[in-house]
Amino acid sequence: MRFLQNKRNTRIAIADITFTLLLLSLFVYFVFYVSTHMQYRWNWSAIPGYMFRYDDSVGKWIPNLLMEGFFTTIRLSFWATILAVLIGTVMGVFRTSRSLFKRMIGRTYVELVRNIPPLVLIFIFYFFISDQIMTALKVDGFVRSLSDEHKSILTFLFASPAHFSGFLSAIFTLAIYEGAYITEIVRSGLESVEKKQWEASYALGLSWQQQMVHIIMPQAVRRILPPLAGQLISTIKDSAIVSVISIQELTFQGLELMAATYLTFEIWITITALYFILTFSCSIVVRKLELYMRRNDP
Amino acid sequence: MRWFKFGSLFLSVIMVVTVLSSSGMAGSARQELAEDSLLEQILKRGVIRVGMSTFVPWAMRDKEGNLIGFEVDVANRLAKDMGVNIEFIPTKWSGIIPALLTGKFDVVIGGMGIRPDRNLKVNFTIPYDYSGQSIMAHKELAKGFNKLSDFNAPEVTIAARIGTTAATAAQKYMPKAQLKLFDDESQAVQELLNGRAHAMVAQAPLPAFQVIKNPDKLFLPLEDSFTHEPNGFAIRKSDLDTLNYFDNWIRFVEAEGWLKERKEYWFGTRDWEDQIN
Repeated sequence: MRFLQNKRNTRIAIADITFTLLLLSLFVYFVFYVSTHMQYRWNWSAIPGYMFRYDDSVGKWIPNLLMEGFFTTIRLSFWATILAVLIGTVMGVFRTSRSLFKRMIGRTYVELVRNIPPLVLIFIFYFFISDQIMTALKVDGFVRSLSDEHKSILTFLFASPAHFSGFLSAIFTLAIYEGAYITEIVRSGLESVEKKQWEASYALGLSWQQQMVHIIMPQAVRRILPPLAGQLISTIKDSAIVSVISIQELTFQGLELMAATYLTFEIWITITALYFILTFSCSIVVRKLELYMRRNDP
Repeated sequence: MRWFKFGSLFLSVIMVVTVLSSSGMAGSARQELAEDSLLEQILKRGVIRVGMSTFVPWAMRDKEGNLIGFEVDVANRLAKDMGVNIEFIPTKWSGIIPALLTGKFDVVIGGMGIRPDRNLKVNFTIPYDYSGQSIMAHKELAKGFNKLSDFNAPEVTIAARIGTTAATAAQKYMPKAQLKLFDDESQAVQELLNGRAHAMVAQAPLPAFQVIKNPDKLFLPLEDSFTHEPNGFAIRKSDLDTLNYFDNWIRFVEAEGWLKERKEYWFGTRDWEDQIN
C-alpha cells in the first residue's frame, strides 16, 4: 500500500505536451517581439568576454566583471549564512527560554527586523550603524596594515582591502536580516519537540544544558534542516539587494556594465542564468540532504 | 532563579555602558578627523579613495574590467601627483553624497555639477570641467519637436537619471512634462528606445553618441546643450587644506593644457569606442 502511495506518475499526458509547447511558443514570441517590434540589436558576442578574459601578463584566463560579481555573491551569501545561523540559533533558543528577559530580546529582534522592509534596514545599517562600528573597530586601518600575503588571503575569503569594510557591513546587514527568519525556524523546531521529551529527560536528572544538547537539539535539527536550507537559498537571492549600497556583487556589476555598454537584455538574462545556476544547484543539494535525513524514517 | 534576575540586570548594565561608550568613541573619532585634515590622512595612508559612478564617457569599464574615462584619467593623475595609490569605489549615483558624508571614500571625482543645494552638504573645488545638459527624442513620438517648449506639455514623458543635474534641468525647463527617473542612463535610454518616453535629458555628449548609435530611432531636437554648468570635486565640509590643494592642482593641470587635451580625447573623438565593446 505504501509503495503505491509513493509511486509517482511518470507518463506524459497530452496536457503536459500542450503546456510545454505553449511555454516554448511564448518564449519564441518574446524573442521575436524583442528583435522585431522593439528593434533591439542583440549582441551576445560581448558577454563571454565580460565573464572571463585572457590576461596576457599572467598568461591565463581570469574572471572578468560578471564572474567576479558572481564569486562575490557566493562569498557574501556564504559568510552571511554562517553568521545568520549563529544569530538565529542563539535567538531561537532565547525565544524558547524560560527567562522573560531573554524572550523579550528574542521577540524584539525578530519583530523589529521582520517588520522593516529589507531595503530600509540595509540603508539604516549601512549609513548609520556599520559606519560607527567600523570606525570604532578601526577595520580599515587594520586591513591596510596587513602584509601583502595576508591581504591576498583576505581578498580570496572576503573582498579586496578597498571594499573590505563595505563588504563586512553587507555581511552583517544580510546576517541580521536573515537571522530573524532563522530564529523563527529554530524556535518552531525547538517547540515542535514534544513536551514529554523535556519531562522525560528532566526525570532522568539531566541539567537544562544536557537536555538541550543530548535530547532536544538532535530532534529539533532534523525538523529544522529543510526550512533552514530553504532560507539559505533565500539568502543568495536576497544578497542582490545589497547592490544598493554599492557592494560589487553580481547585480551591481551587471548594472554597472549595463550603464557602460547598454547591453540591457543580454546582461539581465546572463545574470538571471547565473543566479539560477547557483540557487538551483543549492536546491538539488538540499533535496539530497532531505532524502538522506529521511533514510531511517519508518 | 535569583541568579537569572541578577544576570539580566548585569546584562542590561553592560548594554547601557556599551552604547554610551560607543557613542563617546564616535565623538572622539570625529574630533580626530577634525584635527587631521583629509590631505594628511591620504598621505599617511598612501591611498586616495575616489567615489565615482559609471557615466559614459566620464567613467566606465573597458573589456578587461578596468576603469577608463575622463574622470578616471583626472583621478589617476591626481593620485600620481600626490604620490599615492588610488582606489576607486564605484557607488550608485543616488547615494553618492551620503556615502561621501559617511566616509566611504575621500572625494567624489565623478563629473558632479556644482549646484547650490549640493554645496550646502559638501564642499566643491573650483571647476575642472564644464558640462551641459542636452536632449534627445524619439523619432516617431516626438516628431517635429524642435524646441524645449514643445516638450513642456502634460502628455510628454521625459526620462532621466535619478539625482543628476539632468533630472533637475528637465524639471526646470519642462515643468509640465512627466518625469520618469531611472537608476542609470542605460535604463533611461532603453525606455526611450522602447517608445515609452518621448525624450531623455542627459549630460552632453551622451545624447549625441546615442543618436549616432541609433539613427533610425532617435534624433537631437536641439543642436547644442541647453544648460551650462561647472563640475568640481566634492569633499566633506570644513577641510580647507584639502580644498586648497585640489583647487591649485586643478589650476596647475589646466595651465598645463593637460585637462583640455584629455577632454578633447574623451568628448571630441570616439577613439576609445573599441575599448568597451
